[in-house]
Amino acid sequence: MTLTIEMLFPEIANLHGDNANIDFLERCLPDSRIVQTGLNKTPEFVAGKVDLVYLGPLTERGQIRAIARLAPHKSRIEELIQSGTHFLFTHNAMECLGSRIVNSEMNYDIPGLGIFDFSTDVRMFDRYTGKVMGTFDGLPQPIVGYKSQFSMVSGSPELPGFMTTTRGIGRNPTTHVEGVRVNNFLGTSLIGPVLLMNPHLAEWLMSSLDSTPKREPVLHDLAVAAYDARRREFQDDRTWSAFERVAE
Amino acid sequence: MTNPTVPAFGDRHGPRYGLRELSAIWLGKSAGTLLRILGREGTHVPGRIALWVCPTMLRTIERPTTVIVVTGTNGKTTTTNLLADAVDALGMNVVSNRAGSNLRDGIVAALITGVTLLGHCRREVAVLEMDERSALRVLPELAPDIVVCTNLTRDSIKRNAHPEYIAWILSSAMPTTTTLVLNSDDLITASLGSSSNRRVFFGVDPVGDEPREPSGSAVDASICPECDERLEWDFWRFNHIGRVHCPTCGFKSPKPDVHVGPVTSTTGLRSLALHSEKVDVHLKNESLVNVYNVAAVAATLEVLVVAPRTIGSVVESLTPPTSRFEDETVGGVRLVRLLTKGLVGVAVSRAFEYIVSVPGRKIVLLAVDETTDRFDGVENTAWIYDADYEYLADPSISAIYVGGIRRHDQALRLAMAGVDSTRIVLVESETHGADLVPLDTVDVVFNLHSNHNAGVTGDAVQRTLRTRLTEMAS
Repeated sequence: MTLTIEMLFPEIANLHGDNANIDFLERCLPDSRIVQTGLNKTPEFVAGKVDLVYLGPLTERGQIRAIARLAPHKSRIEELIQSGTHFLFTHNAMECLGSRIVNSEMNYDIPGLGIFDFSTDVRMFDRYTGKVMGTFDGLPQPIVGYKSQFSMVSGSPELPGFMTTTRGIGRNPTTHVEGVRVNNFLGTSLIGPVLLMNPHLAEWLMSSLDSTPKREPVLHDLAVAAYDARRREFQDDRTWSAFERVAE
Repeated sequence: MTNPTVPAFGDRHGPRYGLRELSAIWLGKSAGTLLRILGREGTHVPGRIALWVCPTMLRTIERPTTVIVVTGTNGKTTTTNLLADAVDALGMNVVSNRAGSNLRDGIVAALITGVTLLGHCRREVAVLEMDERSALRVLPELAPDIVVCTNLTRDSIKRNAHPEYIAWILSSAMPTTTTLVLNSDDLITASLGSSSNRRVFFGVDPVGDEPREPSGSAVDASICPECDERLEWDFWRFNHIGRVHCPTCGFKSPKPDVHVGPVTSTTGLRSLALHSEKVDVHLKNESLVNVYNVAAVAATLEVLVVAPRTIGSVVESLTPPTSRFEDETVGGVRLVRLLTKGLVGVAVSRAFEYIVSVPGRKIVLLAVDETTDRFDGVENTAWIYDADYEYLADPSISAIYVGGIRRHDQALRLAMAGVDSTRIVLVESETHGADLVPLDTVDVVFNLHSNHNAGVTGDAVQRTLRTRLTEMAS
């Protein structure tokens, strides 16, 4: 089956190397069709069938632009999430779908798309960088990754998370719940890129997309070796700083 | 050189000092003297002590007639040194933090060296390197006459996030009276300041074969700031450096006021175009990075109202430092050592680009991870996907030896970049690769290491390779 993967706004949503998530999928799924939708284009998901919609990390101004471009398609995005279309939004891309983004230092308070019940507080002089390890429902292996962000998300406890952290903070320093996972919508603030750093998650995603990955043994072996090394490191208490813990 | 008249940019009436200010100066000077006796130069300590005694020191200390701040992601140290050398060559009395800290403390420490015990300034010009993230703690109080920004590209994800963030910090801190000397080939830098600031742009003219499409992982400033349309490139160099125009609304990169042309094949000279005159110059270092630095220096000298021919003479005399680069030939094999700033994809990409540009059969030893980042927080490895490892897929590179804790991440990145897996050699130790590389089939060996492991890894690898090559030759 030929999959269609739509990258939204790659000219602005391209920070922190996260677009390698899509490069990795492309390598594993060589028959897939990658669509790059620019800011001034209508997203393909609006009228056509898209199997995976991807939005990567944005600058603060980029977030505002992305919200403006996606707002006219809010009901279509909701419809697709409800019907089980896959979405992967990494880093601060997920924040576009919350209720508000407040950035006092840059002097704005704007509504998001309001699809999910959470809000985002952006602090330009309080950047958080930390490691994360946690469980992802459906995977026996833990997810590992990094956060490096200005923003913290406060969400409804009923809103399911992408993962539950066993080490490291979640949506903010007071919760283990990280990101958002609703049906096949996956939103996480992790950067890394998350699929390359978690090859088991990438395989799960491809399987969930009902596709048989054409695994490149070397690539897979290297990704698993890197994952295993990081997992061993993250399991060592000595590698964790006090600020990387959830305030209980 | 003739000593040009230094223009007085602002109100430079001497400040009125109280006991607190004088105490800060005395203690700062004493600390500086003590540190020099102990053989420690260029520290921030005198500035920190002075600021502890007098927190308003940056605002109150009597300053030189002209204060120039140099900032930017890449090249600020070199440009500061070149500019200080240039000002010095013009016969002006200059104070600079060239050997010291580029944070607020270091800037105060430098200014203290420029005043007498009674606090009177005895220098004409200050050339001060400033860490771009320190702008909010420096620029409003210092109110420099000129701020030079070399470029703003991606840097440490952890500290600097993205270049738009740094541009926002700089613009937020920029006094409206400051003249800005900006890189016109960097759209983010070119946007600094406000309409109140006088801006002078510098650039490097295109040569014929430069691409018109960007490539690589980290291309910022891709869309028109006026209409969001994807910009078209008149020429593209790296990251978002180049010149652009918008096909929809007509927006384009600013025209450089001072620009350096390509080398003329007949004379070997470059043209340096200033406002009023074009002069031919010969540069001691023809690398693109150095040409940009020289263009920044020339533009700043023009703001200082130095005559065009004098500017030409001065820039020809400048010798850029080569401390991050060693190139030697042992037994017929070139051994090139590159200090490659790990955590910063842009810097790593430039090193990789350089490797490909060197002719011959090559081997690379790669140990560029900043693993020390783990000791003061978190080592985030996302940066390796912001760097263009694709350069290393070049067939002229027969093997890449990847050593250290992050070797698996590095190997995966190389494989993602299209490097054939048979050419990737994983070595647990950062240094052991130097014992293993086959030296009899190569023309050039590259030793790439980062800042933190320059001594432990870079020196050791260099020694081993040099010894092996010497033994081979004998």
